Amino acid sequence: MRTNMIKFIVKRLLIAIPTLLVIIAFGFIMMRVAPGGPFTSERALPPEIERNIQEAYNLNKPIWEQFYIYIKNLSVGDFGPSFKYKDFTVNELILSGLPVSVTLGLSSIIISLFIGCFLGIVAAIKRNTYFDYSVMSISLIGICIPSFVMAPLLSLFFGLYLGLLPTSGWNGGNVLNLILPITALSLPQIAVISRMMRASTIEVLNSNFIRTARSKGLSPSYIVRKHVIRASILPIIEYLAPASAGLMTGSIIVEQIFGLPGIGRYFVVGALQRDYTLVSGVMILYASLLIALILVTDILRALLDPRVKL
Amino acid sequence: MQLTQKNINNSNLLLKVNNLSVFFNTPEGNIQVVKDANFSLNKGECLGVVGESGSGKTQTFFSITGLLSSNGYCKGSAIFKGFDLITSSEEEKRRYLGKSIGFIFQDPMTSLTPHMKIGKQLSEIAIFHEKLSSKLAMERSLEVLDIVKMPKSRDLINSYPHELSGGMKQRIMIAISLMCRPELIIADEPTTALDVTTQSEILSIFNDLKSNMNIGIILISHNIGVIAETSDNVAVMKNGLIVENGSTFNVLTNPKDEYTKHLLSCIPPWLEK
Amino acid sequence: MFGIRKYDNKMVNKGASIVKGRSLWIDARRRLFQNKAAVTALFLLIVISLLSIFGPFFLQHNFSDTDWGSIYQSPNLQTGHYLGTDGNGRDLLVRILYGGRLSLSIGLIATLVSVFIGVIYGTIAGYFGGKLDIFMMRVVEILYAMPYLIFVIILMVVFGRNIYFLFLAIGAVEWLTMARIVRGQTISLKEKEFIETSKALGQSDLLIIIKHIIPNLAGPIVVYITLMVPSVIILESFLSFLGLGVQEPLTSWGVLISEGSREMEAAWWLLIFPGLFMVITLASLNFIGDGLRDAIDPKEY
Repeated sequence: MRTNMIKFIVKRLLIAIPTLLVIIAFGFIMMRVAPGGPFTSERALPPEIERNIQEAYNLNKPIWEQFYIYIKNLSVGDFGPSFKYKDFTVNELILSGLPVSVTLGLSSIIISLFIGCFLGIVAAIKRNTYFDYSVMSISLIGICIPSFVMAPLLSLFFGLYLGLLPTSGWNGGNVLNLILPITALSLPQIAVISRMMRASTIEVLNSNFIRTARSKGLSPSYIVRKHVIRASILPIIEYLAPASAGLMTGSIIVEQIFGLPGIGRYFVVGALQRDYTLVSGVMILYASLLIALILVTDILRALLDPRVKL
Repeated sequence: MQLTQKNINNSNLLLKVNNLSVFFNTPEGNIQVVKDANFSLNKGECLGVVGESGSGKTQTFFSITGLLSSNGYCKGSAIFKGFDLITSSEEEKRRYLGKSIGFIFQDPMTSLTPHMKIGKQLSEIAIFHEKLSSKLAMERSLEVLDIVKMPKSRDLINSYPHELSGGMKQRIMIAISLMCRPELIIADEPTTALDVTTQSEILSIFNDLKSNMNIGIILISHNIGVIAETSDNVAVMKNGLIVENGSTFNVLTNPKDEYTKHLLSCIPPWLEK
Repeated sequence: MFGIRKYDNKMVNKGASIVKGRSLWIDARRRLFQNKAAVTALFLLIVISLLSIFGPFFLQHNFSDTDWGSIYQSPNLQTGHYLGTDGNGRDLLVRILYGGRLSLSIGLIATLVSVFIGVIYGTIAGYFGGKLDIFMMRVVEILYAMPYLIFVIILMVVFGRNIYFLFLAIGAVEWLTMARIVRGQTISLKEKEFIETSKALGQSDLLIIIKHIIPNLAGPIVVYITLMVPSVIILESFLSFLGLGVQEPLTSWGVLISEGSREMEAAWWLLIFPGLFMVITLASLNFIGDGLRDAIDPKEY
């Protein structure tokens, strides 16, 4: 089992390399063809940035060598100098934003998984009761209100109208400052997860092996804990990667609205100001994160479902 | 019917079902799938229930054991050792289910929890009903695996259902029903999904249970051959009604009801003996 | 097996796909119209679409007319600014309806683009199978690992904020799921008897795909369209919210919500009303999608 697992991880990482290469190549080509990009001549840059870029990419060398150097730098985690922020490398910018984004993202995913699964299971067990109906209608509303509507509404209501919570700023990661952004990020995911969990739990509850468990005279709570959840949570595991992608994009909006200095904020600023090195750096970071998450998903699925072989 | 009368004051009586009706609420209205069923079963006897699919055989016994789907309900009484299974609460019923009453389902392939080891699926019953330690419960599991003639039971308890064949899974299902030394086993089409060799092996296990362990067995099947091989009495069901009820020998050699005659005429002549 | 008869081509079609298909659709329509939520949603969606298309012709204000005399007016029936005005004195209702035209048409067109790509890609991969399938699905997998929204943002940055490009960029990233669904369905359809029969009759692959596979995919495709249009509308609004989508003086719901969220302290209606229109539309589409799915593939939940 353990050697299988290691083999599987190594294999998947090897498969991930071409994927990442495609994404990196895309970033590189973008920088070359984009108007005002670092490799085009009609740019008007401060001389020190120009010099940095010249050094970083060896512009006097052939294209393939430049690409090779770019990848070589990336492989040691060097994303190169920022195109717009003087005196900053992309690494420095990303590192300064990372704690904010990771805090937001991790807490949101944990909260949405926990609450979403719980609501879904209870709604499935009590299906066609008022609890079920209310959870499902509220979650439908949650799905239909996108984060960029929900976030301003939350800050309007709890921040400005009730004056309970701060509406912007990081404040060194103060919990009060995090409540609204995390809520705005989690609500749509809670909605989706609870609906998925409800559907899959109902399917499991109707399955033959649950009928067997009931014929054993086991208590309902035991059946749910030992027989139902591990089977019904599988679709949620599958959803982990898309959910995280959703959180990444959601965090772009939420960081913008609540004025949090995270990676998403840098990404938007970079995109609006055409800071190509920063944008492609963030893109590569996000892509690597997603690839890692898909790997984690596959491992989790194999751990939960003995029928899946790694 | 005569047989039922005779059984009333019998101390050997295990299960007595009176005027049992089963209904379903559907979008098309209320449907009755079992109509006033009456039958009984003694210890160490086998009652065969035969009928075509959709005749209500399975729902009769789902209703007794509380396994009806949520839109179903039932009326009447089913007295198991002086305890009415129909009017009792879920909780009371659970004290009998899995302990004194074992249920074996039609489709062994999907009837075991896919993510739980066989040993756990067996031992959890004894842990739950008899408060055994997991070690003792595991030993009990090995014992019942011996009864159903499963070889290499020590390896088996650490395997998952998908690693087993259909015949093996059905033996596991029988083992599950035997975990707490039941007095009644209800087997719903236990051999339908299996090939003929496995089928006869499973039926011989049932014969052993009946004669060696004095367990009452209800065998639901659409296959008259299977019923003839194992049952002492037989009930023939059609459209939710028990059309004929009596000793297997009488019913099969001298059928009274048209439908039973028809059923028997469907058996190819070379199988009649 | 024993007496191989020469089946008439038309008979095969009738027996296998057309007759079955038609009764399926009639059944599905009956079930859909019994679903009150879906019917209400359909009604709301039609009302919003009609309002967006024809509404502006009947209103006295133009979507880009600035009126410095009536800045930040709250909703008022007398002045004809039924939903109030924005910071430039423009009528909010007209702008919402214009934004609706844009958001709805982007939703529809980008979805059709992606369905077109996805169906062709998925049927080819699923039907021919083998190495081609492995390769094609490998490509899809690679693209899946791309954070697609970021991909779209980058495309918008590099190639400028052209609205036609927006249609294309969104369509180009949304086809992946469609391709996956279609491939899966095609693989299972391929095993069905009526496809085998057509093959045995010597029909060409192209003909089989067009006449037998694609019509039988209609169910999942229709369901997917109704669920994809809202996600495209959200995507467009998202980009516009960040200032990367539709540009002034054009407007979309995303642009209006973005403006509204910046000015919500002064004028709540600028956030609430565009948000309301959008949420109702998204909810309706979701309800219709759910209704269609239940109607086409009824399961008891």
